[in-house]
Amino acid sequence: MTHLSRTTHGIAYDSTHDEIVAPNPLAAAIVIFRGGAIGEEAPIRTIQGARSGLSRPETVAVDEKNNELFVGDPGDRRVLVYRRDADGDAKPLRTIQGPKTKLLQVVGIAVDPNRDLLVVSTYSRLPGGVTGLLVFGRTDEGDVAPRRMIAGPRSGITRLRQIALDPETGKIYAAVINNEYLPPYDIDRPRRGLDPNVELPSPWNTGTEGFIGVWDDEKDDGDAPPRSIIKGRSTGIVHPAGVTFNARDGEVIAPDAVWNGLFTFLKPELFARPGPPDGGRHGIPVQ
Amino acid sequence: MVAGLWLVALPGGRVPSVEHTFLATTEAAEEAEGAMCTMPDAGDQQIAIPTRSDAEGGDLPPVRMVVDPYPSFNGVAVDTTNDLVMMSDTNRKSLLIYDRTAGSAASKQASTAKQHIMGPDTGVGFVAGVAMDPAHRELFTVNNDVEDRLVAFDYDARGNVTPKRLLYVPHQSWGIAFAPKRDVMALSVQTPNMYVVFKREAKKFDAPIRSVRGPKTAMADPHGIYFDETHNEVVVANHGNFRPGELITSYTAYDARESRQERSGNAFDESARGRFVPSSITVYDGDATGDVAPLRTIQGPTSQIDWPMGVAVDEVSNEIVVANNGDNSILIFSRTANGDVQPKRVIRGPLTGIRGPMGVAIAKDEIWVANFGDHTALVFPRLAGGNVAPRRILRNAPAGKETSGFGNPYAVAYDTKRREVLVPN
Repeated sequence: MTHLSRTTHGIAYDSTHDEIVAPNPLAAAIVIFRGGAIGEEAPIRTIQGARSGLSRPETVAVDEKNNELFVGDPGDRRVLVYRRDADGDAKPLRTIQGPKTKLLQVVGIAVDPNRDLLVVSTYSRLPGGVTGLLVFGRTDEGDVAPRRMIAGPRSGITRLRQIALDPETGKIYAAVINNEYLPPYDIDRPRRGLDPNVELPSPWNTGTEGFIGVWDDEKDDGDAPPRSIIKGRSTGIVHPAGVTFNARDGEVIAPDAVWNGLFTFLKPELFARPGPPDGGRHGIPVQ
Repeated sequence: MVAGLWLVALPGGRVPSVEHTFLATTEAAEEAEGAMCTMPDAGDQQIAIPTRSDAEGGDLPPVRMVVDPYPSFNGVAVDTTNDLVMMSDTNRKSLLIYDRTAGSAASKQASTAKQHIMGPDTGVGFVAGVAMDPAHRELFTVNNDVEDRLVAFDYDARGNVTPKRLLYVPHQSWGIAFAPKRDVMALSVQTPNMYVVFKREAKKFDAPIRSVRGPKTAMADPHGIYFDETHNEVVVANHGNFRPGELITSYTAYDARESRQERSGNAFDESARGRFVPSSITVYDGDATGDVAPLRTIQGPTSQIDWPMGVAVDEVSNEIVVANNGDNSILIFSRTANGDVQPKRVIRGPLTGIRGPMGVAIAKDEIWVANFGDHTALVFPRLAGGNVAPRRILRNAPAGKETSGFGNPYAVAYDTKRREVLVPN
């Protein structure tokens, strides 16, 4: 009845309208529940169908100020934007897609209505592909290049997943999972070209620890180190795949797939308003 | 929601490895009940929670964490030759093997496993289906996500052991159906809506000997699978999430071989879209290959099928048993049931203790149920029906310990209105 799947890699809470939004990649759908939903409860709205353009939605974000719903869909390498209250086989208002966009494996999306920015996390193994954060204009459409890209060795990002954004500060929180994963199959056949003797990495623990990194959605560009970081053995996190925050209490919250756990960190300085004179940059290099 | 904080230290002040810490958590939970519990429990003494984290350097301890230190049962297989039962553990990433008669109706304490296979060398991760082969003395389990591998162990394996064989498998394989007479294994695979059949001894990149997939199969997000060699049929449990083949690139598409763009250019079919279909049980000829229609389908509101996970066939009594995760029940159908038919029996209700059933097995006139929503496996008489208590309860944690419900969590959101954390699996 819920129309959820066991494969839900994104979720958003709309505090203005008290709604929960989740993608179902296995049925190419977006399901929206009332905020207090419990048990086997049906969604109050569902976006699905040929007009919707959904193929394999992985990640969602709600722009409560402009009443829009953003969806990252790596199946067709695009971002789809709907009316917030879209229902059924709804056509997107806008689509960002094409070679200029650098969108590939889109796994995280967040919107900053205060600065009119859209941030997307994506990764790629293609030559010239980007593994990092792409910053677009909030109303960008079509085959448009990102305004800025945060990626490179100083960023510490080798693979990332969900992102969150605090419009009050412009801070981007990224779950930099940094595990290694090479899928061995192409549908029902082993991939061609794989060395038959190769040992594929187990993403259970690859030795490259993940972290939660914080960047600024207006100031950071290129191979920028995170302004703040949660990383190391004391944190307990190994390969964090998700991130959110509780600004009121100054907390950053991250689930970890290795631990099957949820970790909450106290970082009140990240939510201070206004920011410090230097913009909050500490330039923490990633080891 | 959250209860505490722990750190594990090695002698001499060395920082423990991730693997060491992970293993130590589970071992400590087993050996020192209550000392390191991180799940909510009114009876536990709370560990002091620091008021703030060290903000310098980023290597700061969490102020709260939700980690369930106990196993959570998922797949279940019974060996009646040696009177053993094996279950996969999604939470702590392990396999547990018990005496078949372990547990009791009044059991409040965790049963001791005869063998516990766990650790980074095992290749056991986000694990799902299991199988036992007493003839060749081999144990099997398959990882559902990320790890993309099936691992086989010797029957006596325990601890952090390297698997006897490793077989790479399609992403999102979930169930294992072992067919000992044919000496093959069939694996259900979620995203491509298919099952694939491997030789038992397949290893590394050995390809399946056949696959069943395509629109005629009517598979939709398949999970449980059973190979009924008596009647030469394969039974599959489907959740009902469906996308057509045009949309199914490899699930983890991130290189040129896998996207729709590379397959068909940017002029791909925009009319191909997903849909929801009712959950179902589909039955195929045991020799099926390619895009073939099921011989029979159980589906519809009368059937009560709702998010079916594990499925098993009583080949002697001609019944299909379904772990009906959606409404915390076990459904028993006639083996030849077809259409929107009523189950012969339903085990459901508060006395049953069924909570989030995942695996199901039938052996020696008993039905085994692996609970994901509770730290238990339940054993019912084969003919049980209604709101009945189990004959035996096998616990992997003391009675009353809650489960986190986490299964490979990859996302999170914060509900500012209720001050709650939302975690999908």
